[in-house]
Amino acid sequence: MRRVIILILLLGAMQLIALATPFGGAGRSILVFGFLILAAYSAGELAVNFRLPKIVGYMIAGAVFGPFAAGVVRPPEVQALNPVGDLAIALIAFIAGAELDLGELRRRGVSLLKVTGTELGVTFVAIFLALILMRNWIPFLAGANWIVVLAFGGLFASVAIVHSPAVTIALLTETRAHGPVARTTLGVVLVADVAVVLLFSVALSLAQALVPSGARGVGSLAATAWEIGGAFPVGLLIGLAIVGYLRITTSDLFLFAILATFFGLEVARLMHTEPLLTLLITGFVAKNFSRHGSGQLLREAMERSAAPVFVVFFALAGAKIELPELARLWPLVLPIALVRAGGIRVGTRLGARWARLPANEARPLWMGLISQAGVAIGLVTVASASYPAAGGEMRTLLLTLIAMNETVGAILFRRALHKAGEVGGGTAEPAEEAEPAPA
Amino acid sequence: MSSALLLVVLVAVAYVAAKLAFQWIGRHLLIVSGAEYLLLGILLGPQVSGLLSPESLRTFIPFMTLALGWMGAMVGMRWYLPGMVRLRGVFYRLAFVQSLATLVIVTGASLLVLQRLFGVTPGYALMPALVLGAIATSSASDAVQLIIQRLGRRSLVVRQIEVAVGMDSLLAIATLAAVFCLNHVGTPLLARSPTAVEWFVISCAVGVAGGALFHLFLGEERDPDRLFISLAGAIIFVTGAASFLQLSPLLPGLLMGAILANTSRNRQQIEDVLHSVERPLYFVLLLCGGALWRPAGGAGLIPVLVFLVARMMSKVYVSRAAAQLNDMTQVLGPNWGRALIGQGGLALAIAFNYLIESNSFFPDIIFTAAVASVLLTDLASARLMQKVVTTSPYEVRNSGEMRPPAEAAGLPRAQAASVDGAA
Repeated sequence: MRRVIILILLLGAMQLIALATPFGGAGRSILVFGFLILAAYSAGELAVNFRLPKIVGYMIAGAVFGPFAAGVVRPPEVQALNPVGDLAIALIAFIAGAELDLGELRRRGVSLLKVTGTELGVTFVAIFLALILMRNWIPFLAGANWIVVLAFGGLFASVAIVHSPAVTIALLTETRAHGPVARTTLGVVLVADVAVVLLFSVALSLAQALVPSGARGVGSLAATAWEIGGAFPVGLLIGLAIVGYLRITTSDLFLFAILATFFGLEVARLMHTEPLLTLLITGFVAKNFSRHGSGQLLREAMERSAAPVFVVFFALAGAKIELPELARLWPLVLPIALVRAGGIRVGTRLGARWARLPANEARPLWMGLISQAGVAIGLVTVASASYPAAGGEMRTLLLTLIAMNETVGAILFRRALHKAGEVGGGTAEPAEEAEPAPA
Repeated sequence: MSSALLLVVLVAVAYVAAKLAFQWIGRHLLIVSGAEYLLLGILLGPQVSGLLSPESLRTFIPFMTLALGWMGAMVGMRWYLPGMVRLRGVFYRLAFVQSLATLVIVTGASLLVLQRLFGVTPGYALMPALVLGAIATSSASDAVQLIIQRLGRRSLVVRQIEVAVGMDSLLAIATLAAVFCLNHVGTPLLARSPTAVEWFVISCAVGVAGGALFHLFLGEERDPDRLFISLAGAIIFVTGAASFLQLSPLLPGLLMGAILANTSRNRQQIEDVLHSVERPLYFVLLLCGGALWRPAGGAGLIPVLVFLVARMMSKVYVSRAAAQLNDMTQVLGPNWGRALIGQGGLALAIAFNYLIESNSFFPDIIFTAAVASVLLTDLASARLMQKVVTTSPYEVRNSGEMRPPAEAAGLPRAQAASVDGAA
């Protein structure tokens, strides 16, 4: 309560300053940035009291003070804070890669592929069929011929199946969860991240072949293949460079972590490789191939620098939620979200059974796969740029779906971790003779 | 390989090489430096590779402004009153005299040189001269900490240097704040534009109000992660408020830090959190400073040289004279002022703050002076400090016990003990 009163006072102070001076620019952005951190932090602490993840609190604060509600944070400020978002995404990718253990990947790689493949396949088909059934109510499909329905339905579904590494990593960092459910969820999310970018590229190429847009294409299949495939050697090289650096010195790792992230991001942009995937591989190599625990030290430095970045990143994500659109489109989005959740649940059950995962690990897995955030938004932007007319309506619908999943997904994942008893790292490994998952 | 990528790789290699070279030099020659970051900044900036264009550098300005507020808060945290009152007044008198004299001498010398060299009026030259004076006044605290860590002892001279560094920072920051207020363009939204004195009061009010509010906001929080986030938010807010009003964020940051230091029960935790990013912030300032640096060529180098010489002389000789006048030469030694020659991050912060001020005069000369001084003095500050401490007449062990070294000083034990009640 004390913090809420102080926030109200700060809000008043901001209005007073704005009234007293005509200046703005960087000063106003910094002022708003500070307020957003304090508001999001307070909302995050408040959310814990309601047994909600902190990141939901951050997002709510962003939405409340964002351009579509109170208007404290205006579009130029959201724009000015975008570099923080870029840094957050890059840090998340690096930390995600560093979370992956080589030995565990060797042991469980095939299982992860089975679960991910089945889950993505089932969810894609479910959403695709749902869109076809609901086509008369969906703005960009209503009255269109079957070719358009198939092309846009496939494109929409390829974005709708995306998960969120950002929410997953942020929640694992927040709850300090450690255990089979946490590890499997992270593994599936990361493998799926690679797969969906590939799937989206195929869906977009097919859509452009079936429904030529006239807009500038996103590039040839070869370019797309390089974007994905090239991320592996580029990420490997950057990772090895970091390993070499860590062999010589481990001083000033806090600053080095941020510099390395910016460096990796810049190299990925220059080499036209997928930045998230490049940094993910960089993190994986840096952690698994460095000596004497220096990779672990770097990862801890990254996590330390990421904590405040997460607050801003999710608060900004909240500020970008278009509340009027959410209010307008929720009756249409809700069935799609439910079909998606159902598809994920059935898909993970089937995949887990195929991979012979223990039941206690398989049962809550779907709850960790609901959330969507940065990657999905990136793909939506590409899709809408490829189809300026229909793409705009598709964008609005998908962003509303993402906003819904982003919030609900975080709550569900936290619940799954709690149920599994993995919050705070306090879980036992599942017994080897645990029963397989029921279908 | 594209040329841009080649440049990125070259810069990365240069950074690693410089980092390793300075690490080796630092280990063997006792140097406190982040010069590799300055070098990296110059390599990245428009002067060499152009990887960071002036436009992209402008996008970093908010982050660098934050570093200023953070630095101000760190300086403010040193002003812990219950600790300060345990030291006798003579320490503060000495510190204040050398600070003020340095400010006056360097400002005066710079004023004369700028007037003569560029034919400008005293009114025009006063602002940059005052900023040069403020930069000259500031001195580094890093070397003090390094020597304490290395030699494992605290002597009276170290106490005096700590007080002097704090006084230097206060005076330098207050001078810069005054320059911003004198130079303020006013606001057309109010019936009457505030005067310079009123802007100074507003500047203080932002810091005091911020300190009081955030003392309540932080409460008893002791978890480092949560404290870091809320403290970062608080500093960013205060910095933003000052920056929005076109005032220097250093003074409000300092006042906020001082209030938090004196009112919070979790002072130590707050200080730890602030210190955890002190070095990274300094390096970021060096990095961006290097990128933003434009050499003050030709006639512009003369004020830089005058600044370096005037500062060095003031710090050494005024400190010596002040010690003699206060009968402290036997306690501190005649050369204790040499320990104040190191510049540190605050000098660069002041220069940077002035550089981004929209209506500043001679910004390149001032920035070059700060960069040159930081580079030159950082290389020698720890060695000078070590020499001053090891040759000081009286030493105090960490336990607080005082011992006269080899009867060299000839000062009675009781007199030395009475100088530092806390020892």
